Amino acid sequence: MGTVTATPFVPAEIKQGSLRRERRWALIGAYLALAVFVIFFMVPPFHMLMTSLKSSAEIADLSGNPWIVSRPTLQNYWELLTQGNYLIHFRNSVIVTVCTVIISMIISVMAAFALARMKFWGSATLATGVFLTYLVPETLLFIPMFQIIGSLGMYNNMWAMVLIFPTLTVPFCTWIMIGYFASIPKELDEAALIDGASHLQMLWKIFIPVALPGILAAMIFAFTVSWAAFIYPIAFLVSSDQMLLTVGIVSDLIRADTFQWGKIMAGALMAALPPLLVYAFLMDYYIAGLTAGATKG
Amino acid sequence: MEGKGIPRGVPRRTLLRASAAGAAAAALPLVNVHGQTSSGKLALGLWDHWVPAGNDGMRKLVTEWGQKNRVEIQLDFITSVGNKNLLTIAAESQARQGHDMLSFPTWEVHAQAEKLEPLDDIMGRLSQKYGALNPIVEYLGKVEGKWRAVPAISGSQNKPALGRIDLLKQHAGVDIQEMFPANANAGGKAADWNWDTFLRAAEACQKAGVPFGLPAGQFTDATDWIGSLFRSFGAELVNAKGDITAKSDGVRRVLEYSQKLFAFLPNDVFSWDDASNNRALISGKSALIFNPPSAWAVAKRDAPAVSEHLWTFPAPAGAQGRFTPYLPYFWGVWSFSRNKGAAKALVEFLSERDQAAAMVAASNGYDIPPFTSMTDFDTWEKEGPPTGVVYNYPVKPHHQAQQFIACYPAPPEIAVQMYNQGIQAKMIARVVQNKEPIDRTIAWAERELEGFKRG
Amino acid sequence: MSQGTLSVPTEPAEATPRNTALKRLARRNSTTAFLLTLPLILLILGLVIYPFAYAIYLSTLNRRMTRFIGWENFTFLLGRETFWNVVFQSVLFAVSAVLLKAFIGFVLAHVLHALPSKGQRKWRGMLLVPWVIPPAISTLAWWWLFDPSYSAFNWALMGIGVDPVPWLGQAGWARFSVILVNVWYGSPFFMIMYLAALKSVPDQLYEAAAIDGASGWQKLRHVTFPMMRNVISITVLFSLIVTFANFDIVRILTNGGPQDTTHVFATYAFQVGIQSGDIPLGASVSLFMFPLLAIFAIFTLRGVNKRSKEMS
Repeated sequence: MGTVTATPFVPAEIKQGSLRRERRWALIGAYLALAVFVIFFMVPPFHMLMTSLKSSAEIADLSGNPWIVSRPTLQNYWELLTQGNYLIHFRNSVIVTVCTVIISMIISVMAAFALARMKFWGSATLATGVFLTYLVPETLLFIPMFQIIGSLGMYNNMWAMVLIFPTLTVPFCTWIMIGYFASIPKELDEAALIDGASHLQMLWKIFIPVALPGILAAMIFAFTVSWAAFIYPIAFLVSSDQMLLTVGIVSDLIRADTFQWGKIMAGALMAALPPLLVYAFLMDYYIAGLTAGATKG
Repeated sequence: MEGKGIPRGVPRRTLLRASAAGAAAAALPLVNVHGQTSSGKLALGLWDHWVPAGNDGMRKLVTEWGQKNRVEIQLDFITSVGNKNLLTIAAESQARQGHDMLSFPTWEVHAQAEKLEPLDDIMGRLSQKYGALNPIVEYLGKVEGKWRAVPAISGSQNKPALGRIDLLKQHAGVDIQEMFPANANAGGKAADWNWDTFLRAAEACQKAGVPFGLPAGQFTDATDWIGSLFRSFGAELVNAKGDITAKSDGVRRVLEYSQKLFAFLPNDVFSWDDASNNRALISGKSALIFNPPSAWAVAKRDAPAVSEHLWTFPAPAGAQGRFTPYLPYFWGVWSFSRNKGAAKALVEFLSERDQAAAMVAASNGYDIPPFTSMTDFDTWEKEGPPTGVVYNYPVKPHHQAQQFIACYPAPPEIAVQMYNQGIQAKMIARVVQNKEPIDRTIAWAERELEGFKRG
Repeated sequence: MSQGTLSVPTEPAEATPRNTALKRLARRNSTTAFLLTLPLILLILGLVIYPFAYAIYLSTLNRRMTRFIGWENFTFLLGRETFWNVVFQSVLFAVSAVLLKAFIGFVLAHVLHALPSKGQRKWRGMLLVPWVIPPAISTLAWWWLFDPSYSAFNWALMGIGVDPVPWLGQAGWARFSVILVNVWYGSPFFMIMYLAALKSVPDQLYEAAAIDGASGWQKLRHVTFPMMRNVISITVLFSLIVTFANFDIVRILTNGGPQDTTHVFATYAFQVGIQSGDIPLGASVSLFMFPLLAIFAIFTLRGVNKRSKEMS
């Protein structure tokens, strides 16, 4: 792990007076560490980008430099967008993800509010239990899930994913929201209660607006998870017009022992765009939301 | 990459709902198995062919049949990548719904036998018309005396040697085109094409920097050629009765041979998968692999300079004979299918000689029909360049070879574990990578096999 | 007093409400509370607990799923060498990957936090990239980088005169590679979580520490670390659970090879259950870690809970 051990952790024994110098060194160290990790993190995506711009002949040609594209072409992107089902998979992924996010948020905001603010029998156990659901791995659940989904008549139907994905997202979202709600001063709701507001009004009028950063953080998490989910879609979706992106790429662009690397990379990079945009625009909220939720958790 | 799946205009959910509601109605027996007047809906999950044209050819056959018989067809191509087809089979078997007819790879017929419709009638008629079948499909498709699936044409493949004419001649002095020309006569040196010759060629090619690309991991390409290697040395790990017979001279000899052979292979072959060997060949880094013609076809597209020098020829022979690795697929009909009659009729239709010829042609010769009488289609003679590259891909009489599946003839419920957990490749890896003494490796294998025998 | 979030059952009742009206209201509202949590409860019961119970039942059946055999699948597994290899590798994989991810995430969060806020966004964006590419696909890209014939890594190594590395071909390298890919994918998650936590540490604490003459290391140890302990615990716990359940990476990169040295529970369960037709045994493999992880999780959550009460 050459990259990992190179941690520039900053000078320990420096005297008081040299505070400015200490800062400067810390900053240089910081940029150095950043550079090392950005390289480590960006090498595969960079290679993906280069590969996606190559023709299959150039990819197969061993005499060339694998890191650089010599005759760039947008053909892979063009073919993905104009032929085949990539756009259908993309649309399906968007639909499923948006629905999953909405459902996850409704379930977890309601539950988190109750668990954070209203004590009732079993609430403490439930709060712990929710987190423990992650202990049951997907690879164990999917066999019984076949029967459940089968009995609902939803096998090979992308809407089944909307039903299943919340099991992956809701526990963590609930946890973020509990933390966030707990950080809201209690005086607020006492005042509201004395004014005669019901709990539901309180949730709607006070908690949701105040907790918006937390909700955004949870939403982004849910978005990332359901966008990237792989095991359930590959197990439950068979028809190409029902497939989500992750499965679609694997099952349409790989034929037995033939990989269309250029298109796979192009497809993967385009699949990374929506989450990237979400993070780019909402990152500050995300961090702000996690900040409160995380520390109280 | 063309559109596929449900025909447009028929929303999937409507189909499902209709079939769920109409369960009682669908219980109507579909008489007329011969299928000229059956109707209704039929959902098919067929193997997603590596050649896009393979899918097109199949779709054409199925659609025409559907129109002629007034059956509404829903056709999905299910890839074997990531074992998606196995997941699909497990899913439909558990959910008891899904497709009416599915493609079942190698071992799945036995695994799902109780949920598959017996197809003895079809097999009876087909055998009468087309004669003998190879014993491997009988072993895999016939459970307790009943055919539970029909050996498929689409997807069934051999994995003979696929080598570089130029490199083998230049470095190893082996003229493969002379040994196995594109006609029904073996060349003079064909009888010498055995594992010893193979070893010498492997050494020469390794010295020349183009080592043989023989995978030895847990993927089928590895298991299949290693299975044939074991068989031709008479190394049987479990016999037909299910007794462990690993402690034998044959096993010792094959492991000794592997020690020598693997010294001439790249050192990471133990992790190679089904695509690594293709890439080694296509990139020009390797002189020989065991593979269906897919590697050649991709080379034709991406590296024509390589593909022009490729030639398919049988696997080397050992003391016990010549065994060509063979990986058959099957077409089976679920017992919970709502349209068994139509499904069976379609299976029979697809197994006929005309359809077989069409599928072989559409797949550039990749598909291998189960009947020996169907190994004479002209597709195999014409494909190229070089012309005749796949002539010797189906097993021809003059090869004096048998098609073989690794772990045969162990009882299938044991064999499936041996096969999928790659026990033979692991034995080689222990001897070669870990430098473990052969007797200790055999003892290890015996313990593993003991575990597989558990009911 | 904080509302203990992931609180344990033994937690004493909340501080006495300030007046009886509130108390009555609270009681009446326990119905509302129940209704609010109902969707969550239904989701968990229907799609986690029920299938989980069914999976437990499956694990007690024989290979053909026709006969109840009790513990036999588990006792069988305990007697298998291969299975113990899988246990060892799973623990090695999960623990080292999580430690590395936690460490890298910690370092990166600090470094980012120290940057002037103007440049932060750009760096943050780049560091997030591994986390946003669907892992099933990015692992394919890694696999391509490791490919024996086409490895771009080996190409670069050859360029500087180093022998090609059998990335996935030898036990040691293969173990390293699967961990490397998991660390690559998972570190950004730790980074964001820590960054968020860092931002919530009040500046006054650092200022006070600086006045007391604390060194950078002392600040880290006495101010930052205690403030972040909960986030670290939760993130590590979450990641450990998820990493233990990881499937795609090993499945795509090595399929468990060479010689089963990289198999983790999920991939081994898949091989035994789906590929070799022994679903009950596969279920038993998947269930094996559950008790250990559950105990670990309950203790961690209890600790988190205790600390969050002390803190507020």
